[in-house]
Amino acid sequence: MTETATSHGGTDGEHAPAALVELDTTVNGDAVRTQVPPRLHVADFLRQHLGLTGTHLGCEQGSCGMCTVVVDGEAVKSCLMLACQLDGRSVQTVESLAGDELAPVQQALSDEHGLQCGFCSPGFLMTATALGYQGGCPSRGEIREEIAGVLCRCTGYENVVSAIERWFAEHPQQAGSGGEVRSV
Amino acid sequence: MTALEDSREQTAVAGGSLGASLSRKEDERLVRGDGRFTDDVEPARVLYMAVARCPYPHARITSVDTSAADRMDGVEHVLDPATLRRLSDPITVLRPVPGAPTLPYYALAQDVATHEGQPVASVVATSRHVAEDAVEALEITYEPLPHVTDVLAALEPDAPVLHPSVLESNLLAANSSGSGDPDARLAEADVVEEGRFRIGRVTALPMETRGVVAQWRPGARELVVHCSTQVPHLVRKQLAESLRLSESDIRTVASDVGGGFGLKLGVFPEDVLACLHAMALRRPVKWSEDRAEHFRASTHARESVHDYRIAAAADGTILAMTDVYATDIGGWNSPFGSAQLSSVVFNGPYRVEDGYTERRVTLTNKTPIGAYRGYGQPEVNFAYERLMDRLARRLDLDPVELRARNMLTPRELPWRNPSGAVYDSGDYEHCLRMAAERIGWAEHRGHSRTPREDGRLVGIGFSSFVERTGYASARFLAKRGSQFGAHESVTLRANRSGGIDVYTGVSSIGQSSETAFAQVVAEVFGTDYDLVRVHAGDTAASPLNTGSFASRTMIAAAGALREAAHALAAKTLRLAAWRLEVAEEDLEIAGSVVRHRRDGDVAATLADLYTVAITGQGIPPEEDPGLEATAHFEPADAAYSFGTAAAAVSVDPETGEFDVERFVMVHDAGTVVNPKIVDGQVRGALAQGFGAALSEELRYDPETGQLINGSMMDYFVPTAADLPSMELLHTEVPSPVTPFGIRGVGEVGTIPPGAAVANAVCDALAEYGVDLDSLPITPETVWRALAAVSEPASPEPAAPDPAGTGPSDQGVEFR
Ligand code: FES
Ligand code: FES
Repeated sequence: MTETATSHGGTDGEHAPAALVELDTTVNGDAVRTQVPPRLHVADFLRQHLGLTGTHLGCEQGSCGMCTVVVDGEAVKSCLMLACQLDGRSVQTVESLAGDELAPVQQALSDEHGLQCGFCSPGFLMTATALGYQGGCPSRGEIREEIAGVLCRCTGYENVVSAIERWFAEHPQQAGSGGEVRSV
Repeated sequence: MTALEDSREQTAVAGGSLGASLSRKEDERLVRGDGRFTDDVEPARVLYMAVARCPYPHARITSVDTSAADRMDGVEHVLDPATLRRLSDPITVLRPVPGAPTLPYYALAQDVATHEGQPVASVVATSRHVAEDAVEALEITYEPLPHVTDVLAALEPDAPVLHPSVLESNLLAANSSGSGDPDARLAEADVVEEGRFRIGRVTALPMETRGVVAQWRPGARELVVHCSTQVPHLVRKQLAESLRLSESDIRTVASDVGGGFGLKLGVFPEDVLACLHAMALRRPVKWSEDRAEHFRASTHARESVHDYRIAAAADGTILAMTDVYATDIGGWNSPFGSAQLSSVVFNGPYRVEDGYTERRVTLTNKTPIGAYRGYGQPEVNFAYERLMDRLARRLDLDPVELRARNMLTPRELPWRNPSGAVYDSGDYEHCLRMAAERIGWAEHRGHSRTPREDGRLVGIGFSSFVERTGYASARFLAKRGSQFGAHESVTLRANRSGGIDVYTGVSSIGQSSETAFAQVVAEVFGTDYDLVRVHAGDTAASPLNTGSFASRTMIAAAGALREAAHALAAKTLRLAAWRLEVAEEDLEIAGSVVRHRRDGDVAATLADLYTVAITGQGIPPEEDPGLEATAHFEPADAAYSFGTAAAAVSVDPETGEFDVERFVMVHDAGTVVNPKIVDGQVRGALAQGFGAALSEELRYDPETGQLINGSMMDYFVPTAADLPSMELLHTEVPSPVTPFGIRGVGEVGTIPPGAAVANAVCDALAEYGVDLDSLPITPETVWRALAAVSEPASPEPAAPDPAGTGPSDQGVEFR
């Protein structure tokens, strides 16, 4: 695995090959055992080591939310978390949501025109997914507060809020009861 | 709204695709996380680039020693300014400022850097970290030079001159235009309302930063460049020029672009650098911009200072309007810098026969200014709409009635303004009245000005506007030296599965062009929307076009799509008629078949007919094989969108803290191709307009010349929790100058928020005589304005006036 890691090169590969850390984690339902550089953040781990490029980077500072994934049911900014901290945990990315058909939350985002360039969409989808795990039925105002950690420069948010609201209304069982992580 | 909704439904039912809110072609891949943004492109054996940047606003580069970096493990290649100069030519300006000399903008600073963040050297290594460490190991010595960051100070005689080899001052160019005799009208007017308006510096801040992946195959002389751009064909041209290659050698590909908004118009220095490294190394080279670089080395926008005057008769009739303004262009002339539409629509929707503008494009030691959604139009809207409210106050007129009196009427259009812009059609007053009614203006006017129960004062403000969308023709562009056309070009090609492939150089930047293009083709051809696929952004596959900017794509492309679809449909029907042995007139295309209008049994599938055409087996002897059409279309003129926005605010008169409680936007985009997309474009642009109006401002420390808030933690774009809900209303007056009557829609929302909110705050605080004259408007600026009216105002220094024709700065007169 070291070789694979370094050939991706992106951020922290060849610099300190001696100091790789063991990592035993679950990604989108699949067990992943590998070694990672200690400074590698989760977003680069997902993008460069696993090829899961649906998780985007917009600031690498925790300010934009493009990199949001779900770790043990909670929304996490993956640029602020180290890959080695995933040890023993389960991470879910945007790639896990759809099967042959789009997942209802994805369908709702599209139906409500909650995306334009779509660069932010994985961040909103994973934030909404984590919100769904909390259960309940948030109001529009609560949705606005909950998604305020993800920026969007295209939509003005109104349709993103409508999409999440509609998803909660139409699929209370999925949105509310912490649906299952589908294997990719 | 109801009128529009009715008409939309009718269009959708009658015409099929056009006018319907069909689901977007782009969505499925994007919501699955399966988009392909530039940073997702990862060729085998790719190397990573990092860039050394000038830390000073203005500095001479006295030496660049790369030896330590060269020796580092993993470092493959280093470019210094001297090598760069040997290998490349300066970056071309695509939209020059008329009369401006050419500044030699090399990808690495030669001798002197003129802004913080300008590239000075670049390194390629086996990982991003190694490359960044190698940048640290470069030994670059600088001699800091005196700098100037304020746009007015830069025009003072004692200001340090940025480009002394080309210019004697920092005035890059001065342009004036006008008509009539405004000076005479000013002299005879009953009132002259004037003021100085400062527009803050902002940036487009697309969520995807810039990026480039360059691959060179020397034997094939093929440079493939993936980049995040709105204009792949223009990037190809610029790269050919800077790299001394032929355009034939270059293929640029923009797959998914995570927002552009004008920022991603043309080549940046880093694009040239990545290509040069790739060519030297014969290995792929990738650069992904980080956000700190983005804030300092992409482009900024809007910063300008406007001295505006409106002369009027006692009844409020406008007699003359003038704007003399200094607009910042930063340290270099970027490909689309600076904003050029302030002069074009300086009079907004108002009848002004006598007027002029004078633009002073000014160099400062800051990040270059580029294009940004609105391109000069939000700036002037703030100024003329603030002045309209002041004029109303001074003449004791209702600001809505004052606006209505001066608006051009449908009967007067088309009408040429003093800058030569021809407003095509529209009912401006209708939008104003709709906004006034929706926001409850009459009730508000009737009420006394006492604070609400919660102690807050409420106010309502308006902003009426026109927006130029599209270009006024290649002739217009040629006069200004622009290096692109006013047209769009598309290729349509039928395939053997029964589908139609559309090839376009318009990259997908969020504007939904894949969807809208497919709608037009489906509508005109008569086939199913699902059978049309749009392939966007690859110069190897698409006809040479212009690109996605200036709210022009749909206006121009719709004509090309229509023409190509007509040609394809005509041939398809000829082939079908021959094969089915019936008259062409009796046939129609319906979904996936061609069928007899009266006898449904006489039919052929499109897949069969396309196959016949593609193989040439079974076609009439006089026909050529093949089923493909390329069309080019240039609209007759630019189309002017228009509308009025209204804001309702509440203000705490003690602290200046305010809330936008309602925002109404009435807008006309002509014929609507897809209502959902049009609404989305307006909402998104409004959000950016609100950012620039209320929270976004790039601030420079005048002492150090450094950007103070260049990170997403310190530069506040609106979040979901920040924006008021927007009430959108539309009218639908078709433009007579564009295909289907479409008006552009991408930028309009950026225009009115600043003026509408400022007018509302000033209305709420009318009793205090508070006046706002700068953007952004923050609680602090309101508080300062409140404090200022209780103290004598300190006079501001006069505007530098190199041409000697500007207005005197006599400050603001209150009633
Ligand atoms: S990239 Fe992680 S929050 Fe911006
Ligand atoms: S859709 Fe472009 S950033 Fe949200």
